[in-house]
Amino acid sequence: MLAACFASALWAAETGIILKPDQLRADAFSDAKVVATVNKNDTVDILNKKGAWLQIKTKQTTGWVRLLTVKRAQSGTSNVAGMVGVATGRSGTGKVVSTTGIRGLSAEDLKTAAFNEAETLQLEQFGVSADDAKQFAKAGGLSANTYPYFNGGNP
Amino acid sequence: MINLSVKQRLCGAACLALVTLPLQALDFKGALKDAVKAQIGISEKPEAATTSQSSTPATTEDKLAQVNWRSPSREDEIAVGRQVTGTILGAAPLVKDAGLQRYVNRVGRWVASQSERADLPWKFGVIDSQDLNAFAAPGGYVLITKGLYQRLRSEAQLAGVLGHEIAHVVQKHHLKVLQKQALLDAGTSFLKDNISKNKLTQRAVNTGAEISARNLDKSAEYEADSMGLVLAARAGYDAYGLAEVLQTMGQINQSDDSVSLLFQTHPHPDDRLAQLSLISGSALDTMGQGKALDQRLYVLKQ
Repeated sequence: MLAACFASALWAAETGIILKPDQLRADAFSDAKVVATVNKNDTVDILNKKGAWLQIKTKQTTGWVRLLTVKRAQSGTSNVAGMVGVATGRSGTGKVVSTTGIRGLSAEDLKTAAFNEAETLQLEQFGVSADDAKQFAKAGGLSANTYPYFNGGNP
Repeated sequence: MINLSVKQRLCGAACLALVTLPLQALDFKGALKDAVKAQIGISEKPEAATTSQSSTPATTEDKLAQVNWRSPSREDEIAVGRQVTGTILGAAPLVKDAGLQRYVNRVGRWVASQSERADLPWKFGVIDSQDLNAFAAPGGYVLITKGLYQRLRSEAQLAGVLGHEIAHVVQKHHLKVLQKQALLDAGTSFLKDNISKNKLTQRAVNTGAEISARNLDKSAEYEADSMGLVLAARAGYDAYGLAEVLQTMGQINQSDDSVSLLFQTHPHPDDRLAQLSLISGSALDTMGQGKALDQRLYVLKQ
């Protein structure tokens, strides 16, 4: 059955789940005409990406929404129930991305751990100055902006 | 010494209060307040003779012993964060790859420079654990696991993850939890046994390693997400890096060991994405196209 899911994922369109109620627009900008609305947990097909916008197809129509309105699911449309489960995070039976069999770092591990001075000193040695970081940013073509936090300032 | 005498006063007052005057009960309150003050370091009198201390100045122990829990200074914050971080490193050491550690520091320091606490001595590290997680400690310490690092696909994604942790430090999320704990502990432990302030701080900090991976409320995590996204965008990165990482993490089975701690301590990635989507609204429209720098992401040796 797992194999079937993977097989369908190979040829099915990329799908997504709507994360919040939003307006579907005729084009990829904020004052484009509203053609429909989407609701939380709607399943849609993702057709295209342009800048910060995704073109999606609902059951009724096609249009554009902001990137963050959609959670991208990688599986095919055949597995709708599983995807919704994954989207709401309550399923656990959706797609399994296996990592490793090694037991993870637990809260208990952290509680019982002993301070390690040598490692702490090493960590401190790797620190860099603000100027060093700035040079590195510049080398990558990064330049600073002054965007406010969301909700207009101090959150 | 001070503590002891106050404790005797308290004991006397408490016993008397059982049989006699309301006046004594008032005194009880006063005595408790004084005692707690003495323990958390806001006593009028200088701390006398915490006996277990050797007195070379400015050792780690001294710094920790002098932490003013009611109103921690910048130095206090750094001393506490260092101790918490060193304890996490005790559970999982640094990945032995100097190039990687230097790289993460450069990216992290640049993102931190866009924050309101750019002047902290920021330190970043990748720890040797297959878990998917990242940790922040007071004073500018940020750790990310190798497991999470290996899932990243661009420098912008790294910047988003580090931005989230930087936001915790900027907002003093963990420091506030530790403070609350130390102050509570100062009150209750006084009634049980007369512990020194040094011990008190040790206790708060020891649980700090655990707390750095726990106990923040959901709103603090959502706040760190939204601030982290903005910090990465301020640094010139593609604003969607953090969201992309959350997308990836949302596809990992919750029962997988590598994410069990993460999922215990954070809202589900899908809920975080939904919240990020709601809070950002149309704000991302006005942000320019940042850089993903997927080619520059440092590839782990081995």
